Amino acid sequence: MSALLAQMEASGLATWVRESPSLWAYPTILTLHSIGLGIVVGASVIVDLRLLGRARALGSADVSGLYPIIWWAFAVNATTGALLFAADATRKSAQPIFLVKLACIAVALIATLRTRPLANGSDLRPGRGTGTLPAVLSLLGWLGAIAAGRMMAYL
Amino acid sequence: MTLQRWSWGVGVAVLGAWVLAMPALAHHSSAPFYDATKSVEVAGKVTKFLIRNPHSFLYVSETTPQGPVEWQIELGTAASLTRTGWTVDTLKPGTEIRVKGQPSRAEGSHGMCCARITRPDGSPVTPGGRLTEEKQPPPL
Repeated sequence: MSALLAQMEASGLATWVRESPSLWAYPTILTLHSIGLGIVVGASVIVDLRLLGRARALGSADVSGLYPIIWWAFAVNATTGALLFAADATRKSAQPIFLVKLACIAVALIATLRTRPLANGSDLRPGRGTGTLPAVLSLLGWLGAIAAGRMMAYL
Repeated sequence: MTLQRWSWGVGVAVLGAWVLAMPALAHHSSAPFYDATKSVEVAGKVTKFLIRNPHSFLYVSETTPQGPVEWQIELGTAASLTRTGWTVDTLKPGTEIRVKGQPSRAEGSHGMCCARITRPDGSPVTPGGRLTEEKQPPPL
């Protein structure tokens, strides 16, 4: 496993991300990661709050329309996240807080998949329905992922 | 408790935690690791100069009565160092330099940040460069 991570870190692409002085390397990738984060979590928070009974003017079509945006932005973050990880794979993989971040993302993703059918259905009722638990887990998961991700620089 | 009051509670708690954490997060985020109230100065030979993201590192070997001590000096991003005109050839292994900066808070470690780097006699490292802030490596 550690040999695989070291090999990943030594690859040409990972070396470019880590060592290039170009603004198109690490700075741009990190910027895209921040933008994707804003969109994934921003759109998710709207969906979750709707399922928890806020912003009741939003109908089923409005909420459903946010999911493709969440998936596309998540794809951006999975890609840029993989690049940032590869650049520093041996150290990041050994950081417990990084595993916390991945666990938070997993919880948030599963919760978001669980809210998806609710956005179409009759459960999109003001402050009720089976959407409460996944909505709360999605909120906590995404916010936890942001916090853990930021703390990777300090822990 | 209504959801609205619950939301306010969470908001206030997050803000409170943030304000409490502010002193630790302030000053280019180097304060958690380095003590800005202290200063340390080292003269020695460059062993390694790693220009990389998110932060670059310079390694300097200091000769002490107890034997050689390797200092790790944390510098800025690859982009900002390069823009200042510093490359890996600026500080090749073996180059004699003098470094003054803030010591690491970690007990028993030999780390430094926010460093001012010169030749042993205090002259600038960059050939022909004046000893100005612009010719110093950028902070974190």
